[in-house]
Amino acid sequence: MKTRILTLLAVAGVVALACGSSSNQGATGSTIVLGAPLGLTGSLTKESALTKQGYDLWLDWINKQGGINVNGTKHPVTIKYYDDTSNANQSAVLMQKLITEDKANFLLGPYGSASTATDAAIAEQNQIPMVEANGAAQSIFNQGYKYTFGVLSPANKYLQGVLDMAATLNPKPTTIAMLSADDNFSLEVAQGIIDYAPTKGMQVVLYKKYKNGATALTAEVQAAKAANPDILLNSGHLAEAIAINKAAKEQKLNAKIFAYSVGPSTPDFITSLGKDADYVYDGSQWTPQVKYTADFYLSVADYVAAYKAKYPSEGAPDYHVAESTAACLALQRAIENAKSLDPKKVRDALAALDVTTFYGKIKFDSRGINVYKPMVVEQIQNGQHHTVFPADVADKQAMYPTPGWDQR
Amino acid sequence: MIGMPASRTWNRIFVALAMAVIAYAVLAPLSSLDVLQSLGMPLLTDKLWFRLATITAMFVVMASAWNIIGGLTGYAAFGNVAFFGIGAYTVGMLITKARWPFLLALPLAPAAAAVFAVLIGLPLLRLRGHYFAVASLGVGVAVGELVQNVDFRGEPLFGGASGLFLPILAVPNRDLYFFYLMLAAAAVSIGVTWAVLRSRFGYGLIAIRENEEAAAVIGVNTTAYKVAAFALAAALTGLAGGVFAQWNVFIDQENSFPIGYNVEMILMALLGGTGTVFGPAAGAVVLQLLIQFLSGSLPITLQIPFVPDDAMPVLAQVVLGVLLTLVVVFAPRGVIDFFGGRSALSIAYLRRSLRETSI
Repeated sequence: MKTRILTLLAVAGVVALACGSSSNQGATGSTIVLGAPLGLTGSLTKESALTKQGYDLWLDWINKQGGINVNGTKHPVTIKYYDDTSNANQSAVLMQKLITEDKANFLLGPYGSASTATDAAIAEQNQIPMVEANGAAQSIFNQGYKYTFGVLSPANKYLQGVLDMAATLNPKPTTIAMLSADDNFSLEVAQGIIDYAPTKGMQVVLYKKYKNGATALTAEVQAAKAANPDILLNSGHLAEAIAINKAAKEQKLNAKIFAYSVGPSTPDFITSLGKDADYVYDGSQWTPQVKYTADFYLSVADYVAAYKAKYPSEGAPDYHVAESTAACLALQRAIENAKSLDPKKVRDALAALDVTTFYGKIKFDSRGINVYKPMVVEQIQNGQHHTVFPADVADKQAMYPTPGWDQR
Repeated sequence: MIGMPASRTWNRIFVALAMAVIAYAVLAPLSSLDVLQSLGMPLLTDKLWFRLATITAMFVVMASAWNIIGGLTGYAAFGNVAFFGIGAYTVGMLITKARWPFLLALPLAPAAAAVFAVLIGLPLLRLRGHYFAVASLGVGVAVGELVQNVDFRGEPLFGGASGLFLPILAVPNRDLYFFYLMLAAAAVSIGVTWAVLRSRFGYGLIAIRENEEAAAVIGVNTTAYKVAAFALAAALTGLAGGVFAQWNVFIDQENSFPIGYNVEMILMALLGGTGTVFGPAAGAVVLQLLIQFLSGSLPITLQIPFVPDDAMPVLAQVVLGVLLTLVVVFAPRGVIDFFGGRSALSIAYLRRSLRETSI
């Protein structure tokens, strides 16, 4: 309550200043209400909190500008949050409440694929645009829905960047072993590689699925060693990536590239593996080192600085935060382009959107997903994360090939 | 004798109140029809009202269905959500894979759930007490896992972790349609309970609950009765699942087999009064509205001094837990006990209950 009053006061103050100092900038319009149900309690608390940070970071900034500029009138913005207790069925009720009771003009996505899928159906039936940043499963976008837009690269692209990079290296690696968890997201990542490898002149020599969350993966790594691949890929999660890396060392599986979909980007990966974490690659939606030239909002460096100023205890922003901010930016620019708050006009403006931000390109295909932004490839070098691909956004060159376990 | 007229008056007031609530719930949605809107009828229900009312009706079905096996027969089934999920996936599979129309697929949801209940009921219902409770919980979890993980020729058979997307049903007044469908399922559940309680079958179930050996001695075919009660509960729960699938459009393991529903439907029956016709339904309405109120989904919200907004959901869980403990300890026959004219709420009643529920 206290923070809300403070925010309101701050908004009022900023608005008053903006109106007072430069009246030629236009009048203040009605407040635009955005809404998002998030799992502020329950099993998705951590990721939901990061999502909220991303939304709030943009909210502070836009209100400091006086709001979103619609035809010369600045409309201040509020975001109404509800706690869906990480429960998809509750998320649907709260989405409907945001639309019906709170009269939300536009919707921001919840966290998690199940909630996003359910809420997409609600947005569709109410014809209110929803821009989401945290549901990469393609199935959501294959339903012909017109009102759901996702700013992230779809799951099947997650590790394709690694193959793009590998194709530029010398000597070029040609054989791939893929170990995948059996959850929806991981399987889509794996399928993306199986479809993509032949187009890069590479061959998947082993594809093995394991139970999501399993950490006894010795048998899988043994099978991978027998296949003797140039590239060892894992689409799974942090604990599995750590287990695979340990087993690879024990069994002296010497691949030229070790790349895991999710784990290595977190600090925990380096702390638990120490020196053995070096040379490992991962695919990421965004890194704080990328070099995109933003059309509007903040540059990458300013974004990282703004995040550190608002959340001093958190370190650098991770990609959950960045993609959530990007969802707000897509909505902001679409409203400006539509010159209207009409949901249908803003929907059309979203469909036609083509901008570059600190997060990269935001442009939606006919299904509503952002297939135009590449995934970036990170590599751990001497205990530090560095962005190594694509070359135009990278801050370091890839250290290739990975030396054998007994030569490190 | 002195207490009787007062309790009878309260009973009448309660019945009148319940009738008014039911009449409103049944008739208010009609105000959203175009015909009445064009005649200047004020809109009494919006899309949020419909979503909340449909969920509430869904829990009326599940609590009433659980009452048949848990309340009448005395078998504490902790895995009924499996039937809900089977109903949902039956409709989901028939619509997405076999392209059946919804109304043709829907009757197969209760059928599939009932067949499954007979198959697992035959071995499971030989267990009693805690053993049955734990085994049924295991089934509830296992079915959800199977649905997510069964592959056929390398492809997930039931949509796997991606779940199933059903096409949005093209009917006019979609919200009204699904509310009345779920309400009809709720009416069927209550009607079935009423009919069972007045039949030879129902007396047999109560005999099993009170003393299974004695029931067998007086000629009740206990196995057949128990399996039939289990199948009936499964069919009704499966019906709710079938309606849910098309209404919610998207189904997956998480929303079709939520473990929490197992507990909620039992608490609703306990709160309202197990073994009665209207108890579980009343418990479902009260508890579901309370859950929604405490989690901030209702149009009316609560501001408590010194409690920040973002702590409300946590507080809600605590309040809910305390409330349910109090009901189970002090009113084990359910809140409906006070309205049937059988007992009056008094200190003596609470003390007697406490003695009964203590070991």
